[in-house]
Amino acid sequence: MDNSILRLPAEQLFEEELNALIKAETDPIPAGWRMSPRSVKTYICGGKVGKTAITPKYIGHERLVEIAIATLVTDRALLLIGEPGTAKSWLSEHLTAAINGNSSRVIQGTAGTTEEQIRYSWNYAMLIANGPSEAAMLKSPVFTAMEVGAIARIEEISRCASEVQDTLISLLSEKRISVPELSLEVPAKKGFSIIATANTRDRGVNDMSAALKRRFNIVVLPAPETLEEEMDIVKTRVEQLSGSLDLNAALPKDAVIEKICTIFRELRAGETLDKKQKVKAPAGVLSTAEAISLLCNSMALAGSFGSGDISDDDIAAGLQGAVVKEDKDTVAWKEYLENIMKKRGSEWSGLYKACRELNE
Amino acid sequence: MNGVNFFGIRHLSPAGGFYLRKFLSEKRPELVILEAPSDLEDTISDIIRLETRPPFAILGYTQSVPVRTILYPFAEYSPEYQAIKWCSENGVQLRFMDLPTETFLALSDKMIREAEQDSQTSEKPAEQKPDVYELLAEKSGDDSHETFWERTLEHCADAEAYHEGANLFGKNIRALTENDSYEEEETALREIYMRSVIRNAVRSGVSPEKIVVVTGSYHVEGLKTWEADESLPEFPKLPSLHTLMPYSYYRLSTRSGYGAGNKAPAYYELIWKGLCRNDRFYAANAYLSKIAENMRSNGSAASSAQVIEALRLARSLAQLHGGDIPTLSDIRDAAVTCLGEGSFSAISAALADTEIGTAIGEIPEGVSRTSIQDDFYRQLKELKLEKYRSVVAQDLALDLRENLRASSERSAFLDLERSYFLHKLRVLGLDFARLAPSRQENATWAEYWQVQWTTECEIVLVESALKGDTVELAAAFQLKENVEGQEDISVIAKAIEDSFCCGMSGAASYALSALQAAAADNIPFKEIAKTMFSLSNVISYGDIRKADCSAVEPILKQLYYRACLIMSSCCVCNDDAAKEIAAAINMINSVELAHDILETEDWVKALMEVSTRDDLNTTLSGLCTAILLERSVMSNDQLKTEVSRRLSKGVPAELGAGWFEGLAMKNRSGLIARLSLWESLDSYLCELDDEEFKRALVFLRRAFADFSSGEKDSIAENLGEIWGSNGDEVSEVLNAVLDEASQETIDELSGYNFDF
Repeated sequence: MDNSILRLPAEQLFEEELNALIKAETDPIPAGWRMSPRSVKTYICGGKVGKTAITPKYIGHERLVEIAIATLVTDRALLLIGEPGTAKSWLSEHLTAAINGNSSRVIQGTAGTTEEQIRYSWNYAMLIANGPSEAAMLKSPVFTAMEVGAIARIEEISRCASEVQDTLISLLSEKRISVPELSLEVPAKKGFSIIATANTRDRGVNDMSAALKRRFNIVVLPAPETLEEEMDIVKTRVEQLSGSLDLNAALPKDAVIEKICTIFRELRAGETLDKKQKVKAPAGVLSTAEAISLLCNSMALAGSFGSGDISDDDIAAGLQGAVVKEDKDTVAWKEYLENIMKKRGSEWSGLYKACRELNE
Repeated sequence: MNGVNFFGIRHLSPAGGFYLRKFLSEKRPELVILEAPSDLEDTISDIIRLETRPPFAILGYTQSVPVRTILYPFAEYSPEYQAIKWCSENGVQLRFMDLPTETFLALSDKMIREAEQDSQTSEKPAEQKPDVYELLAEKSGDDSHETFWERTLEHCADAEAYHEGANLFGKNIRALTENDSYEEEETALREIYMRSVIRNAVRSGVSPEKIVVVTGSYHVEGLKTWEADESLPEFPKLPSLHTLMPYSYYRLSTRSGYGAGNKAPAYYELIWKGLCRNDRFYAANAYLSKIAENMRSNGSAASSAQVIEALRLARSLAQLHGGDIPTLSDIRDAAVTCLGEGSFSAISAALADTEIGTAIGEIPEGVSRTSIQDDFYRQLKELKLEKYRSVVAQDLALDLRENLRASSERSAFLDLERSYFLHKLRVLGLDFARLAPSRQENATWAEYWQVQWTTECEIVLVESALKGDTVELAAAFQLKENVEGQEDISVIAKAIEDSFCCGMSGAASYALSALQAAAADNIPFKEIAKTMFSLSNVISYGDIRKADCSAVEPILKQLYYRACLIMSSCCVCNDDAAKEIAAAINMINSVELAHDILETEDWVKALMEVSTRDDLNTTLSGLCTAILLERSVMSNDQLKTEVSRRLSKGVPAELGAGWFEGLAMKNRSGLIARLSLWESLDSYLCELDDEEFKRALVFLRRAFADFSSGEKDSIAENLGEIWGSNGDEVSEVLNAVLDEASQETIDELSGYNFDF
C-alpha cells in the first residue's frame, strides 16, 4: 500500500479481506458482482473467512445491511437516509467496494450539480475541432457504471436541484442512456444500480419527487442504539484513522471514549442516560462521526503539543468546538457542565474543570 | 419404531395442520391419539359441530380460590383441530392422551406456590441458563427461532419433509435442553401418562401400525418407549371445570410464546390458505397486497408497483438466508422499505391489521355454558333485556324511580334492577353496556346506556367464571380485588361508588373499612377531593338506589375536615400544579354545597385564609375570592380592598394577572355583573402613571384574553355606566380588531421589562 496517500479507498484499504472472501466464495454470484450477497454481508458486518478475520465495517443493525444488499440484488436503486454522521456514505462506499471492487464512481450532490455531471458532457476543444464523437465525450460516473454493469454512488442527493435529481428517473426506469448527438443508445449492463445518500437535516430543501422516490428502496440508518454500540464504533474507527494519519499519540482509553459518547448521547437525546434528568439539546447534530473526529483531533493535539497521552484539556477543546456551533449553544453547554457533569464525581472532575475554564 | 406412527407438530403451525391431514389420509389409521388433556374428550362433539368456527379455546379452571387456569386455543390451521376434523369426517376413533386438566392445574398451582416461596426466601434470582431457542436463532443467522422454524418447516415442500423435519427438530431440542427441575418434572409426568395411554390403546386390540400419535415434536422421542411397562405415580389433583369458549386472533397474539399463542395469527392463516391452494407464495403476495389495500383505505398512497417491488425485495432477503420463500420478517421488512419508505411507524397500523387481524370465533348457542353464563342469560331474560343482545348498538334509557302504576314490586323497580345488573357487568369489564353521560342536569333518577353485544363480551364473560359462579358473586370478587392493596384512596372511593351502583351495599363495607384505614395516612389534597366527590355521589344517589349510606357519612366528614385544614398549605405551588388544585377546590366546594352534614363555617374559613394571604399561588387566591363572592360571604368593600391590594405597585405583574385569572375562573357572569369590581378596577387604573399603566395593560390583556365577545360586551356596558357614556360605543372599541398603529404599540410592549 502506498503510505503517502492521505485516504485510501475502501477496496484498497481492505484488499486482503476482499480477496479472501472472493477466494473462499461458494454461493452463487449475481451478474456483475464480485462475490455473493452473503459474502458482502460478511464483509460489512464482520466475521471470519478461512484464517482471515473480517473486521466489521458497520456495527449494529445487521438487518438494515441485509435489506440494503437484498435491494441491490434486485435491480432497484438504494437510498440511504439518516441524520448526519450515521455512516451513510461509509456504508455506500463499502457496499460498492465489496460488490464491484471500485468505490470511486461517485457524484457529489451540491447546489451546483448540473444535469451534465450526471449524464455526460463534452471535451469542448475536441468537440469544436472534430465534431461530436465518442472520443470527445466526458462520461459521468453513472454513464460508466451503466456501461460496465456496476454501481454508481450519488452523495447527498437532496442537495441537488430537483430538475437535476429527476434526470435519474429515466436512467433508473429505462435502464439506458441516450446520446442524441451521436444517435447512440447505451443500455445498462446487468449489475448496474445506484446508491444514493440523503440527509434528514436537509429535508425540505430539495425534496425528492414522488416519481424518483418510487424508484428507490429506502433504508433509514438510525443513530447507534446503545452506548456500548456507539463506543464500539468510535473505538474501531479511531484505531483505523490514527493508523493512517500517524498521529504520534496513544490511543484514547476506554474511559475517555465512554465519557465522550455519554456526553454526545445525552446532549443528542436531551436527557441523561438514566432518563432521570432533562438536558437542553444544542442545535448541532453531535453525530458519531463527530465523536470520532473529536478524538482524532485530541490525539493530534496531544501528539503535537502535549505528552502523547490525551489529557482532559485536549478533549475539552474539542468538545467546546463540537457542541457550541451557535451562540445559544453556549447556554446549553454551560448548563450541562454545571447541572450534570459537575455532579458526576471525581472521575469527571478533571474534564469538568478543563471545560469550565474554556467557558469563563 | 414399534409400529406406532408418531407425527411431531408445533401448536398453531399451518404446515403441521396441512401435512398432518395428508399423512392421515395416507396412513388410514384406525385410531388417532392427540396430545390434549384426556378429560377434554367430551368437548369433541361440540368442536365438530358445523356452527363452531375457530378461533375458539378450551378453558380449564379450578373451582377453589386462588383460581388457576389453563387455556388451549385453536385456530383453523391448528394441527390438533385439523386432526379432530379429519377423524370426524372419516369416522376414525379419536383419543386424548395428555394429563387431565385437574392434574395440570395442580401442578401449576404447586409451581406458583414454590415460586412465591422462593422469592420470599432467596433474594437472588436463579441463574439464567442460556436459552436453547436464543442459541438456535443465533446459530441459524435468523432474527429469532420463530423465523428459523417458519423458514425451515412452515415452508416445507411436502409432508415427508415436514414429518421428518419436525421430529428431528424435537429430538435435537430435547437433546440440547437441560431445563429447570420443575419443567423436567412436569414433562416426565406427562410422558409417563401419555405412554400409558398408548400402551392401553395397543392392549385394547388396535394394531400399532394403525395408530397415529399426534404430539408436540419435543415429545416424540419421549413417547417412543411406550412398550416398556412402568407403574404410574400418584398424580396430584385439583377439582376443576372446563368450558369451550369463542376466541379471537387478537387474544391469540397477546399470548405468544412457545405453544400457547402465535404473534401473527392472521398471517399464519394466509400460510394455511396458501397451502390449501398449493401456492407457496400466496402468503407473501396476500400479506403485501393487504397492507397496500389497508394503506389506501386509510388515505395513504400505495401502488401495485410498490407491492411488486416489496415482493421482490422479500424474496431476495429470503435468498440471503438460503431460503426460497420469504418469511414473515422478510416480508415485513420489505413492506417497511418499499411501502413505508423506510419508516416502520408509517405502516405500523396496517401491519398490525394484517398480521393479527380481527377474526373472532363462534361456538353454537348453549354449548358448555359456565354457571356464570347461565346466570347471565337467566337475568337477561328476567330483566327483559334479551332484545339488546344484538350486534347492533341500541340506546337504553332507565328511570330508577318506582313505577307506581306497576302491578308487582318486581316490575315497579324493573329499571333499577336493570341498572344494578348493567353496573355489575361494567365492573366486570364486560363491554356490553356503556354508561352515557346524563343528559339531564343533576338528574339522579335517570341513566342512559348504550348497549351492544360482541363476541368479545362472551369471552370476557367466560373468563369472569373464574371470579365467581354468578354475575353478582363475580362482581363482588372484582370489587374486592380493586380495593386490595390499593393505596390510592380515590380508587377505593370509586369502588365504593361502584358497589352502591351495583346495589351491593354489602360489598361496599369491605371497601369502606379499607378507605377508613387509608384515610388515616397522609393523602394528597386532590386525592381527598376526588374521594369526597365519589362519596358525595354515593350519598346523593343513595335514596334512589335504596342503599343505606349511614356508614359513608362519617368518612366524608372526616375527609372534609382534613381538606379544610390542609388546603392553605397545598396552595403553595407553581401554576401547573395549581390547575389540579383548582379543580380539587371546585369539587370540594360543590360537595360542601350538596350536603348539609358538612360544617359550612370550616370551609369558609379555609377559603378566606387562601383568599387573603399573599404568599400563596395567586391564581388559587383569586379562585377562592371568586368562590367567596359567589357564596355572598365577601362584601363589595372587601372585594375593593382585595383588588387594589392585589394589583398595587409592589406586586409583580405576573402575580396580578394570575390573581385576576383565578377570579375569572368561577361564575363569570356574576363577576361581570358586579359593578363595584369594575369601579375599583377603574379607579385603580386611573391612579397609575404612564409607565405603570403600560405594565398593568400587559397583564390585564392576558387576564381578559379568553373572555368571549359577549362577555366583553357586558363589561363594556358596565364601564360605560361608570364613565357615564354609551355602552355600545365602548363595546365597539373593546371588540374592534386592532389597527396597525395600536398593534405596533402592543408589539413594543411584548418586550416589556418587568424587572423593576
